[in-house]
Amino acid sequence: MSPLRRFLRKPEAVAGAILLAALVAMALSAPMLFPGDPQAIAGPALLPPFQDWSLPLGTDRLGRDVLAELFYGARTSLAVGLAAAAAALAIGSVVGTLAGFAGGLVDEVLMRITDAFQTVPGFLLALAFVSVVGPSLGIVVIAIALGTWTGPARVARAEVLSIRERDYVAGARVIGMHPLAIAFREVLPNALPPVLAMSSVIVAAAILTEAALSFLGLGDPNRATWGGMIAEGRAVLRTAPFLSIVPGIALVLTVLGVYLAGEGIVETTAVRRGLS
Amino acid sequence: MSGFTISRRQMLASSALLLASTAMPTFGWAQTPKKGGRLVLAADSEPRNLNPAIVASNGVFFISSKIVETLAEASFDGKDGLAPRLALSWEGAADGLSATFKLRDGVKWHDGKPFTSADVAFSALQVWKPLQNLGRTVFKDLAAVDTPDDLTAVFKFAKPTPFQLIRNALPALSSVVPKHIYEVGKIEDNPANNAPIGTGPFKFGEYKAGQYYRLTKNTDYWGKDEPYLDEIIYQVLPDRTSAASALEAEEIQLAAFSAVPLADLDRISKVPGLKVISKGYEGLTYQLVVEINHRRKELADLKVRQAIAHAIDKDFVVKTVFLGYAATATGPVPKNDPQFYTADVPTYAFDVAKANALLDEAGYRRGADGNRFSLKLLPAPYFNETKQFGDYLRQALAAIGIDAQLVNNDSAAHIKAVYTDHAFDLAVGPPVFRGDPAISTTILVQSGIPDGVPFSNQGGYKNDALDALIAKASETLDTAARTDLYKEFQKQVAADLPLINVAEWSFISVARDTVGNIANNPRWAVSNWADTYLAG
Repeated sequence: MSPLRRFLRKPEAVAGAILLAALVAMALSAPMLFPGDPQAIAGPALLPPFQDWSLPLGTDRLGRDVLAELFYGARTSLAVGLAAAAAALAIGSVVGTLAGFAGGLVDEVLMRITDAFQTVPGFLLALAFVSVVGPSLGIVVIAIALGTWTGPARVARAEVLSIRERDYVAGARVIGMHPLAIAFREVLPNALPPVLAMSSVIVAAAILTEAALSFLGLGDPNRATWGGMIAEGRAVLRTAPFLSIVPGIALVLTVLGVYLAGEGIVETTAVRRGLS
Repeated sequence: MSGFTISRRQMLASSALLLASTAMPTFGWAQTPKKGGRLVLAADSEPRNLNPAIVASNGVFFISSKIVETLAEASFDGKDGLAPRLALSWEGAADGLSATFKLRDGVKWHDGKPFTSADVAFSALQVWKPLQNLGRTVFKDLAAVDTPDDLTAVFKFAKPTPFQLIRNALPALSSVVPKHIYEVGKIEDNPANNAPIGTGPFKFGEYKAGQYYRLTKNTDYWGKDEPYLDEIIYQVLPDRTSAASALEAEEIQLAAFSAVPLADLDRISKVPGLKVISKGYEGLTYQLVVEINHRRKELADLKVRQAIAHAIDKDFVVKTVFLGYAATATGPVPKNDPQFYTADVPTYAFDVAKANALLDEAGYRRGADGNRFSLKLLPAPYFNETKQFGDYLRQALAAIGIDAQLVNNDSAAHIKAVYTDHAFDLAVGPPVFRGDPAISTTILVQSGIPDGVPFSNQGGYKNDALDALIAKASETLDTAARTDLYKEFQKQVAADLPLINVAEWSFISVARDTVGNIANNPRWAVSNWADTYLAG
């Protein structure tokens, strides 16, 4: 049975994939459906949803189109989630590979640094970093990656420790390959699958962290973000609850979608690896 | 997820920094004040130093004005807009070198000692002039205070000082503290700063951090039959959304300083038994101002500043950001000021086409992406409204081809970025007008102010004519001539736009309709509440 068929036989994985596909479609179609600035003032303030079909989800306190902000918010969430996860995986696997492959003092130093980062809660680290450096999209990505690279580093190191004893690594040494070349050409690619398996959780966590930072006013203020929308709606929670509920639902569905689809992929591939 | 718990808590904490609160709605109701009762109200900040003679700010006054009294209080109908408190009368000498205060007889401190002119002399010379945030400017030329008898204090000035300024400063700057308590040790470290002793209608009871402040009735108060209330409890409710629910649940009877968000007022005004009151803050007017960094070459050009002024739809700002609870501004003195305001200044109607034309004229043409140039815009984080106006201003500037990038900071970082590092192009600020332009308004445009002074001209603006005008007004003794100079000041500021005044707003109180004598003076929330009562 092909991995795809196995994936398709898991209803929760398919549901996740559909949610994720919807999110990607939203993110990609935003500039086409809503050309111009999503934060532009589009109509009267605090228009409730389903009143005016040119503004289907209504408007916020300044009269900005909630639907347009929601679509552009999907872009921000997805961009931050993917970029932060990619950065965390890249840093983590490089650090883990170096530590595992070099061993000795290098291993000790790198792993103690990893320990140091792990002892600080990731969200707190992100919060501190953004408040010191100042909020912008790139900084938010770095801040989230700072708190999440340690997991991949540990997994990569564990994997490398077993791989470096394999025969093909010994063979590479014998033919005189540079140790760094062995580490990154021979060992790392084989250590990656279990590391990549963590990606769905990291992306989901990164999206949530970004939303939480934006909620606290530490997101990029020049972009529409779901966390920022929820925070802004909070002041009018009693009179216009939809302003917080709509982006809140989007956030829940996205995190759920990423997680379910990711789990589905991991399980499918795990079965394959187990069989092979 | 643990991250989420932290974020919510942080949010609650940060929202707590914003406003304060109390108020009440029964006004002009022909009821006989009833004695007794406990007034519970919302407090959103917990000042550590409660000494109003050192920290003259609304957050401190809100609590300590009931305990420590000033020489005079603002009044709607009193002469010169004042009502006597510890002073019965006041008079400035024609040469501007002295001012005489006749003090109230038979006033006792909360510890039983008599109040005398020595207390006034001590407060003025040892506290207001050297230590108080606002007094440092207003009383800078105060050389001595003579006390010919226990009930007379004569302020002597080294340089002629306009009596109009001293008079206008009385309600906020003249809190009298007891000499016998403060003359021992360092004034800043005195324990009475945290448990104030005054002459006011209420005594300091206790403070439980994070829970409440309790004030109790001063049975020895000088006012006949006053105070009416037995106790005032300031319930600490840092979360702005909780004040409205607490009012509805009858846990509190009053929420002042807009503790109830503007967006909730419409709903809450329909709740039976609750009243929304926008009076009682006339003496505490906040101004919504666009601060400009004149070091930026584009912004040093008057045409660009005029274009920005034309790009702002002030009516939209009042209607949408302030939901109508504000007024549009014409210049640096708010419309509700009875002494100085003039409408006879250059105005800038909302006109995007004209703004675009002005920018073209100034030589800043739109590039291929439709933008003329980029700016950094820093909205002050203290109020929801300043932040929202920042969002609006970004859109208003986009319409005239100026790409404004918002930079959000917390309070400390914002003050450092704008007033010390000058790391801004435009900033949104909420300065306060305190009844006289010389107290905290001229400093916003005057040159030569050292770096790091908050709420002052840190935009590098220098206009010799305006500086000369400010200097002249500060030494003009004749009230009418001085007032005219400040009218001219408003004209020049509106013409040259060192900053752009957008709107003026104050606070809203929400109260149970059992609370009586609410909003009966222009600084009601920060006055002594001797006549406030609870009916029924």
